[in-house]
Amino acid sequence: MSTIVIDHLARVEGHGGITVELEGDAVKNVRFDVFEGARLLEGLVRGRRYDEIAPIVSRICSICSPAHSLTSLKATENALGVQVSPQTEFLRELLLRGESIQSHALHLFFLAVPDYLDRPSAIAVAAEHPAAVMLGLRLKRLGNLIQETIGGRAIHPVNAVPGGFGRVPRIDQLIAIRGALIEAIPDADAMLDLIASLPDAGFCHTPTAYAALHSPDSDRYYAGDQLMIASNGDRATVPAADYRSLTNEKPVAHSHAKHSTFHGSPFMVGSLARLTVNPGRLTERSATAAGRLKLSIPSDNPMDNNKAQAVELVNDLGLALDMVERLIHDGVKDEGCVPVTPRAGTGVGVTEAPRGLLVHSYTYDEQGCVVSADVITPTAMNAASLEQHLRKTVEQSAERDEPTLKKKLQMIARAYDPCISCSVHLIRR
Amino acid sequence: MGKPTVGIFGLTGCAGDQLAILNCEDELLDLVAFIDIRDFLMGSSGNDTGCALDVALVEGAVLTNRDAEMLRAIRQRSGLLVALGTCAVWGGVAALDRNADRARLLEEIYGETGHGYDSMPARALHELVKVDLRITGCPIEKDQFLAAIAGLLNGDLPVYPDYALCTECRMRENNCLLIERGEVCCGPLTVAGCGARCPELRIACIGCRGPLDDANPNSMLEMLEKKGIGRRQVEDKLRTFAPIGARQ
Repeated sequence: MSTIVIDHLARVEGHGGITVELEGDAVKNVRFDVFEGARLLEGLVRGRRYDEIAPIVSRICSICSPAHSLTSLKATENALGVQVSPQTEFLRELLLRGESIQSHALHLFFLAVPDYLDRPSAIAVAAEHPAAVMLGLRLKRLGNLIQETIGGRAIHPVNAVPGGFGRVPRIDQLIAIRGALIEAIPDADAMLDLIASLPDAGFCHTPTAYAALHSPDSDRYYAGDQLMIASNGDRATVPAADYRSLTNEKPVAHSHAKHSTFHGSPFMVGSLARLTVNPGRLTERSATAAGRLKLSIPSDNPMDNNKAQAVELVNDLGLALDMVERLIHDGVKDEGCVPVTPRAGTGVGVTEAPRGLLVHSYTYDEQGCVVSADVITPTAMNAASLEQHLRKTVEQSAERDEPTLKKKLQMIARAYDPCISCSVHLIRR
Repeated sequence: MGKPTVGIFGLTGCAGDQLAILNCEDELLDLVAFIDIRDFLMGSSGNDTGCALDVALVEGAVLTNRDAEMLRAIRQRSGLLVALGTCAVWGGVAALDRNADRARLLEEIYGETGHGYDSMPARALHELVKVDLRITGCPIEKDQFLAAIAGLLNGDLPVYPDYALCTECRMRENNCLLIERGEVCCGPLTVAGCGARCPELRIACIGCRGPLDDANPNSMLEMLEKKGIGRRQVEDKLRTFAPIGARQ
């Protein structure tokens, strides 16, 4: 028996590795090892007040911090019976779009693309292709500008609170974002050209189930309370409150991330899943982008998640511009926050984080303090599916030498854009 | 003289301080022209994991034996060790209750599988090794990070604010959330440097930069008690990012 070990996966967020055990050419066992320390935040928020929870749980992960913060607020507001204004929902949607722009630009240019060009890092890529890296930096900065303006800070946003926002953006700030988004129109195009020029990475093919927030006629990250799973042409919907029937997590010894399966089969969440589950996300703009990247949906190739992120990036830039134009046209009211009255109850919040479905659920007591908390992250949901794709990658590889297998395994893992800090924060059974 | 060699490392945390470095979009390419980043797992797959380093930037807290071993190895190979962010400087959110029964929490969250996990109460870097510079913040502020790099290139260390957040808040002419609205604002006990970001947005400070060196929590507890806010609620808030009474 031989073993392939990737001790410490580089160019991902957090600490994880891959172990594949082989008997001859047959794959005996595959593990996505997570050795990120368990911070036990779901346990530590118990007893804390409703307005303290989002800032604590946003610290689960920096890249996904706006999604954690807003998903937490959504769950808390559901538990406490708070209905926020349409303007608040709109601004939250825009904040998550900014997050997705930053996160996808970071992942594509800094974490994923160096593999396709056989370089160890974006810094090494910059030595030969400075324009490509500067393009990535500009797109990333634009996502951060939106996050800073709406969320008050790019990492761990402070401005979104139970019932609304501390301060709403000023018109001059929105005009600055509009200017930056208009300037980015040629960048979106150049980004598609770059991704389309990358060598083909079709070395793992297998039909996969996909799950995402159900948003039938629109492209949303924040709004929605139905989960949908698509598998072999079949679709099933699950109300957010019944999320456990979808996630059905089980702890495993080799990882601090529990594994999710639906009816016993792994499923994938993230960009590719969103495009697969919600054909409504394929607007004219994104369908054209998908065509340029030769991305066909549904896909049986997990590497296509990179292309799907590029498609979403184009769509997010366009939709963010539409949203900011609308805010400038309609004006933004300084409406204050909806008052919150503590009460006992349970609430679930579901959103699309850049890496896929994110679920938060809290039970509060009469004083508005947390009795129990559940957080299920996209990387945790993806863990079982990732292991399946790592296995297929080894099984389907004609080249059997270790360096080639290792490179393919790492590319598959990175295509999932895992956020390993996130994955350890899991449910209280 | 060659470029200083630098390593960027993350222990247990959210990677937010490494992300804050990558968020220096306008400066990043200049930065890598001045420093030689040899070991940066989040940014590169081609790292020299054993070389001597002039400077190690370390974010996150120590929660596992693996973290502790990694930190000691980094200390050994580095000239200067910089604690990056509130988790590295103070312990951060993972340290919000160091007395919690971890065995019970692990079992509740992970079931019996949790018994085998490598997990201990969060510790700040200086509790294990010597720290040469602390850049606090959750996450760190970009300009304070860049000032540190500029200082290190010039052979000195930057001086950061050592006064309360209230000073910055007053300079921005914000209404006082603590005195005028009776909110639990951690400004008087929290070290400045963020420009009073939250009070500027009419949101009370939650102390994410960690406490002042000469913070006096008892006087704040007394003042808020007079306003009818319970001691427990204030204490909970104060220990969210740094254990109460922790000293550097």
